[in-house]
Amino acid sequence: MRKNHSMWSKILTFMALLGPGIITGSVDNDAGGITTYSAAGAMYGYNMIWTLIPAFIVLLIVQEMNARMGIVTGKGLADLIRENAGVKVTFFIFIGLLFADISNTMTEFAGVAGSMEVFGVSKYIAIPLTAIGVWLLVVKGNYQFAEKIFLIFSVALLSYIFSALMGKPHWSEIGSAVIHPHVPVNFDSISMVIGLVGTTIAPWMQFYMQSAVIEKGLTPEDYKYTIWDIVVGCIATVVVAFFIMVACGSTLFVNGHGTQINDAKDAAVALKPFAGAMASQVFAFGLFIASIFSATILPVATAFYVCEAFGFEAGIEKKWKEAPQFYILYTIILILSASIILIPNAPLIAITLWSQRINGILLPIVLICMMLLVNNKEIMGKFTNKKWNNIIGWFTIFILVVLSLVLVVLSIF
Amino acid sequence: MKFGTTFYLSRVVGNTIYTNDQKPIGKLLDMIVDLDSRRPKVIAIKIKNNGSIRIIDFSNVSITKKNQQYHIQCTALHDMELSKLHTLFLVKHVLDKQIVDMYGRKVVRVNDLRLVVLSNGTYTVAVDVGFEGFLRRLGVAKPLKELLKPFRITVPSNLLLWDEVEAIDFTNRGIKLSKSYAKLSTLHPSDLADILEDLDRSSQLAIFSSLDDEKAADVLEELETEVQVNVLESLSVEKAADMLEKMPADEVADILEELEAERANKILIEMEKEASAEVRELMGYPEKSVGSLMTTDFISFHETITVQEVFAELRRIKPEPDSVYYLYVVDHDGRLAANVSLRDLVVAEPEQPLHRIMNRDVISVYDDDDMDEIVERISKYNLLAIPVIDRTKVLVGTVIINDVFYDFIKSKRRK
Repeated sequence: MRKNHSMWSKILTFMALLGPGIITGSVDNDAGGITTYSAAGAMYGYNMIWTLIPAFIVLLIVQEMNARMGIVTGKGLADLIRENAGVKVTFFIFIGLLFADISNTMTEFAGVAGSMEVFGVSKYIAIPLTAIGVWLLVVKGNYQFAEKIFLIFSVALLSYIFSALMGKPHWSEIGSAVIHPHVPVNFDSISMVIGLVGTTIAPWMQFYMQSAVIEKGLTPEDYKYTIWDIVVGCIATVVVAFFIMVACGSTLFVNGHGTQINDAKDAAVALKPFAGAMASQVFAFGLFIASIFSATILPVATAFYVCEAFGFEAGIEKKWKEAPQFYILYTIILILSASIILIPNAPLIAITLWSQRINGILLPIVLICMMLLVNNKEIMGKFTNKKWNNIIGWFTIFILVVLSLVLVVLSIF
Repeated sequence: MKFGTTFYLSRVVGNTIYTNDQKPIGKLLDMIVDLDSRRPKVIAIKIKNNGSIRIIDFSNVSITKKNQQYHIQCTALHDMELSKLHTLFLVKHVLDKQIVDMYGRKVVRVNDLRLVVLSNGTYTVAVDVGFEGFLRRLGVAKPLKELLKPFRITVPSNLLLWDEVEAIDFTNRGIKLSKSYAKLSTLHPSDLADILEDLDRSSQLAIFSSLDDEKAADVLEELETEVQVNVLESLSVEKAADMLEKMPADEVADILEELEAERANKILIEMEKEASAEVRELMGYPEKSVGSLMTTDFISFHETITVQEVFAELRRIKPEPDSVYYLYVVDHDGRLAANVSLRDLVVAEPEQPLHRIMNRDVISVYDDDDMDEIVERISKYNLLAIPVIDRTKVLVGTVIINDVFYDFIKSKRRK
């Protein structure tokens, strides 16, 4: 890079490298995430907004490590785990990932079904159409094309800002709630805090982020731009989460009384009497986009990592004949997730909860693997973690392990 | 010691090593093979002995099978110095890593290795890349096979002979790389390009640096744009320039346009004047224009020259096969006047001058025309190549049907 680069060419370079962080950040606000944010806003008003600050820090730390590993080694996280942790550890992580992601994908389809119901479309029409559309995009499309679509999706998530503004939020109250939150300390509120932090960072995201960086062909020279991409992505994640909480907090949480919400669709429906049909539909539209978005990436990403780790050919640029295991696995994940949601009276809420639990158990294991890899000199050379990275990293993992354990224990009782 | 015993690496790694009087002296961590011998022979093992890691000479070690388990015995612990040798650690460099299957021409992951004990030493004979190997590593291969037997289901196993694979994960910098990838350089450039695309950046570079300029240029041409950029950004400017000189100017222009301007400029300065001038000229054309697709490797003559002189000239310059579809006839200012096909030359009398046999009604395109113009004319007139002229009618290049075809495929892939 030249020293006398104009501001403009810097911006252009940044735009060209934009993508991995922002897309990962947006995929992060999937149906499960939106449900959690809505529920937090409806139950506790503005008093849970402060949790976004630690969530942001955790997200930033973890994604930076992923990007650095991807840039330095040029290998995916699945590859690195397989090459350094041996077969047994790999096997359990990826079987876990497979289960977690099948239930996560179900949650996404539940989001599609719920959001379309607000528009009066039956799930028996919406889900098959979505599933076929998603399948075609992955099998017939390519990464550049998909990435463009995803960036457009990311922008569509800003619709939550509009539904928040339609709810006429009280900005001064939001400010004081961030500084002095009034949260009753009980099991429900603690598990809500855990859910909020936990939904911001899911195990499969670490794999996705690292692959996206490699897919883009980023090099150590691009690192400083990638950092900004990640920061922008994390800010986008938190901003969307903030506005969802505000939207529900300023409407469904009235006179200090919370509304119980079981899924994101409930929030969209409940908004109607408070903020009008328009706000309700904008909210549902956001949910629909978010669900499709994640339903596209999750199954294909999962199939890819599982194949990568087990040594099968994988990748959407390969033909069906070259990578049969990959395509079959992908198709199974998609069909299974979509069809379970289509079962009449499917326990959608239980499915959402279960997917969060499996994520919670898997996340610390994946993060510990990551920390060990990123500190391995043979793999990372001079790009291993700095002291502070490690302190924050291990502290984050410790907190997450404790939180996840609490969440798992709580959900059993 | 029973010769001819074969065993899987995963069955011996982690096993306890015993002395002659059956005292445990440590655990086996890794086996080291010598790549300089004709077959990869085990020369040392890495062991954990009283909490310290040691590399010891394999000549005092024997491996025997005793009631379904492998017994490792070591008569004397002699440390071994490996730094001078061309070695490979089987666990560290091969097991669970990606290697190239030369026969299937693809990248595969190693689940296990098979070794054999012969009278003159222990050798690596094959790598296991099948699902059975994976299950064996999980420790469930045997029970699962028993379970599936009644249903007539077999677990697919896939062993590749050592001669048919090339290990790539060398972190051993002390050796001449070209030697390590000798097998790979025998592959067709397109196959090698596909393999490179499946590997990580550092392996791509390592393999690339080991190829000679000619081969490297052929492979570079076949790579996806992102990988091309990655390779050119990481290679030294000199090596990149040497390689690009061996490539058609239009290809070079396409690749350099993807690079950062500064880096591209450095490479151009390093290249031979003549080659870089052509490339710079081509880089000036806007995307989607004929000029951006054309090649400047064309052959042209004046109309006064005879058929046999043309042949003599062709024998001298030995052109690439795709630049001799048509030969062009130009006037003294280089303006395009006519074309001559090889067929016309072959059937003509040797003494005839070109103006007797040439075709004055030549179809051409302007260098600033849109690309679609070419597709239309090539298909309308059934051409294999089409000459490109600038607005003063000077012949500046040709577009070959192959390039049109590739460009079409590429743009389809992007949609």
